[in-house]
Amino acid sequence: MAFREINSKMIEATVVPGQRLFSQRGAMLAYRGEVSFTPNLQGGQGGVMSMIGRRLANEDTPLMTVEGSGTVLFGHGGHHVQLITLTGDTLYVEADRLLAFEGTLQQGTMFLGSQGGVMGMVRGQVSGQGLFTTTLKGHGAVAVMAHGGVFEVPITPQRPVHVDPQAYVAHHGDVRNKLSTALGWRDMVGRGSGEAFQLELSGSGVVYVQASEEKL
Amino acid sequence: MFRLQGSKVLAVDVTGDAVKAKNGSMVAYDGQMAFKKLSGGGEGLRGMVTRRLTGEQMTVMEVRGQGTCWFADRASEINLVQLQGDTLYVESSNLLATDAGLRTGTTFTGLRGASQGNGLFTTTVEGHGQAAITSDGPAVVLRVSPQYPLSVDPGAYVAHQGNLRQSFQSGVTFRTFLGEGGGEAFQIRFEGDGLVYVQPSERNTIAGDA
Repeated sequence: MAFREINSKMIEATVVPGQRLFSQRGAMLAYRGEVSFTPNLQGGQGGVMSMIGRRLANEDTPLMTVEGSGTVLFGHGGHHVQLITLTGDTLYVEADRLLAFEGTLQQGTMFLGSQGGVMGMVRGQVSGQGLFTTTLKGHGAVAVMAHGGVFEVPITPQRPVHVDPQAYVAHHGDVRNKLSTALGWRDMVGRGSGEAFQLELSGSGVVYVQASEEKL
Repeated sequence: MFRLQGSKVLAVDVTGDAVKAKNGSMVAYDGQMAFKKLSGGGEGLRGMVTRRLTGEQMTVMEVRGQGTCWFADRASEINLVQLQGDTLYVESSNLLATDAGLRTGTTFTGLRGASQGNGLFTTTVEGHGQAAITSDGPAVVLRVSPQYPLSVDPGAYVAHQGNLRQSFQSGVTFRTFLGEGGGEAFQIRFEGDGLVYVQPSERNTIAGDA
């Protein structure tokens, strides 16, 4: 793994020739050795078509390519950083939460409407995720940012997990998600419990939840 | 039943009983849960009048069901308090969750409340069980005994429990009015026997500038 945790808010990445890293632009704190940072106009991998796709999807967080040989420290905005190692499965995460990821991962954009149709789109709007989300697939490590600490909740077929949309960070594995509503007459008259919408995740995998209801 | 997961997340195993928590503080749950809004200040009509008059409007929800529920509030640190029949005095904004066996109410605090910038009333929790309180930064628990009274900055005070008398202390001199004060013009003094929770951060208070 190319990443190593320095403390809860900083990671150190080892760059070796021939292996690229992608990181959020401006997230470099310090580096050792011969490392070059090139702004990535396309905002990630793939050709021009994927770039247009990301632009349209509003998932085009400015990224930079990190190449060379040496070590780089990353951190951003004092947010907590969580390292996630992927072994062939797909991570679903918002683009602005991505701090850095290895070049071995395939980046893509997913239309939420394709998972759950209209309700998927409604879910994206309610949870503030928009209509699209970023996917990372393959073998490698990802550093994801969150406000407050992150904890993992395992999802098993017998036990679906419900998450507050504002506290949701990312998930991976074979997971279906849908928006579940607990709207009742109480919410209509302004006496709701503040937990009217929840993301229901079922299947098998892991969901990452942050200790805060604040977006980044 | 209350477990801390890290210092900022509270995990509660719910087995059919009702846990009260601050509105909207649930971040995740598994199993079956139902959330219902309650209101602080006691039940019934009397509670409603109390809430209106005191402004200590803690919006609480009742969580019932089977499974594990995780709570967190804006990434603030969480402290667990064990109550055995005694009373915990806490600001409603600092109270995250209480056990089914605890009752909450409202009491008058006088000048201390005004100096904290939190109003004249505070929330009381009493009974047998566990409560979770939040603080900005990890809170320290300071013991007060009859020989050793304690003075606390109103902005850093979070909660207290036990048999304590509190009085309001001011170190205001003519220098304060000239704008030359030391920044510590007011303190709350605790005497008696009990525990005081203090956070390593100061809220904005009226007294804070003096």
